[in-house]
Amino acid sequence: MDLTKKLSPDSIQQIIQQEEIPLRSKTFSLNTVTEIFRYGAIIGYTGEHHDQIGRGMDWARHLIDKAEETNLSFPSGTVILADQMVQSKGRFKRPWHAPRGGLWLTLVLANTLLPESQLLVPMAAGIACCETLRSTGIKAYLKWVNDVLVNGKKISGILTETYRSPRFKEEYILLGIGINVNNNVFPAELSSQATSMKSCLNRESSLPEVTARLLAKLRWNIGLLYHEEARHLEIHGGIGKNSETLTENMNQDKHLLLESYKSLSDIFDRRVLFGFNVQENPQFEAKVIGLDNSGGLILELEDTSRIVQHSGEIIYLD
Amino acid sequence: MDQDINFDEIINKYRSDPFDYLDVVTPHTGLVKFKVSDGEKVDGPSGKWHHHPGTLLYMINREKNPKPIYSLTNGVVASLRRELEGEFVEAGEKLMTIQHPLKKREIIEGILQNVLYLFKAPEKAKYFFSLDIQARLEKQDDKAVFIKPGDEIITMSLMKRDTPIYYSGEEGIIHSVYFKPGESVKQGQPLIGVCAKEKLPLIQKIITHVKAEWS
Repeated sequence: MDLTKKLSPDSIQQIIQQEEIPLRSKTFSLNTVTEIFRYGAIIGYTGEHHDQIGRGMDWARHLIDKAEETNLSFPSGTVILADQMVQSKGRFKRPWHAPRGGLWLTLVLANTLLPESQLLVPMAAGIACCETLRSTGIKAYLKWVNDVLVNGKKISGILTETYRSPRFKEEYILLGIGINVNNNVFPAELSSQATSMKSCLNRESSLPEVTARLLAKLRWNIGLLYHEEARHLEIHGGIGKNSETLTENMNQDKHLLLESYKSLSDIFDRRVLFGFNVQENPQFEAKVIGLDNSGGLILELEDTSRIVQHSGEIIYLD
Repeated sequence: MDQDINFDEIINKYRSDPFDYLDVVTPHTGLVKFKVSDGEKVDGPSGKWHHHPGTLLYMINREKNPKPIYSLTNGVVASLRRELEGEFVEAGEKLMTIQHPLKKREIIEGILQNVLYLFKAPEKAKYFFSLDIQARLEKQDDKAVFIKPGDEIITMSLMKRDTPIYYSGEEGIIHSVYFKPGESVKQGQPLIGVCAKEKLPLIQKIITHVKAEWS
């Protein structure tokens, strides 16, 4: 691994050995924990660190194209870190502020998951960010799909895009992850909605350490997706399938990643404004009832009827 | 597409049988109990988000898990297989047909969907045009945006993951758009209808003709 000057190659593994394995072993057998980390081991195995880049997603596409031009396939799990990004943007042309002091990471995954599992990749990344923040003592919560908030202010955001390489037509999932670590000055339009680890902890944090911890959490949560896919396929022949019998409904096997998500989120029973692009075009108010088997948001409308949404955004109204 | 399209033949076809026929089949095995009769009028889903189900057609019960099955469209129940009442049926068994009366808009759409190249949704998701196509749609005249295979035309959004969708099909002009940003599109439903530029006048002729002829 060449994460160069700031992130030690062994630091992820050290965190896994010293913190993650003891933590996860409280809930799972050591064999299961080892298996899950083995699935996630590719994450951060290769990578690069830049002082400054334009946009992480674009750089990832450039690297994939360059590898294929030389007849090489691009290594899944590659991580691109940047001290700052100067041309970053979010969804719907929204600005993405990525100055020095923050953690700006792009993760490239070759898309080898089944569609049912792929749906949960953005959630897995959100869980990893939320767990990273909680491990420092910050009371962070997930807001569907994968924003991480502290006292209602955004501390971490994730962008997920798919890229199909031009030459080999390989499909990649690109995860752009940002955590406000030591950057605590935000543009005026964001200052009331954003916060940072520095503001929450009243001290600076070691960026390489936070990065290593995030990568360890990503290894676990992405690994968990693969583990659950294999387990559900073996036992049930599929993931998130609708049951046809009452017995099956009652004994429905929970997806471990979704259970983890629920434990880190405070969306349930809250009134929200929903919209595909909720800032520009809010569509309706509803109450969050739960998540379905595929991570979809179950919303109760004013007339008590329910709908499930798999795409969109929410703003809390309470 | 045939340039010498026979308008009278098309119009007469819809005049003599202005209905669509939707077969209702069982989603899985189970005991069937009908809730409608032959000739009964039924409604499709309603509400702004289509969240109120249509008329209850039948219940299917497998191992103490009764599942209500609702009508997906309005119309009249036809060819109901009453002999299956209380019987255990296989998955995919046809139970009845809903005879759905077509509106003028649906007839025009039906004809257009036969003559346009339909680019369909690869998955159930929400879709929006790529920035480039959206800008061209806003800037250029209606029905002037040309696309060819390999163009990135649409973004599919699912669980906050944006996937670019590349066009595959006949090159031509985006004539019809069948999705709205923010609304879910089912897998296999058309997203856009495309036609060759030189065929645009013919398409317009069809629409005008049906509008004028159909009362």
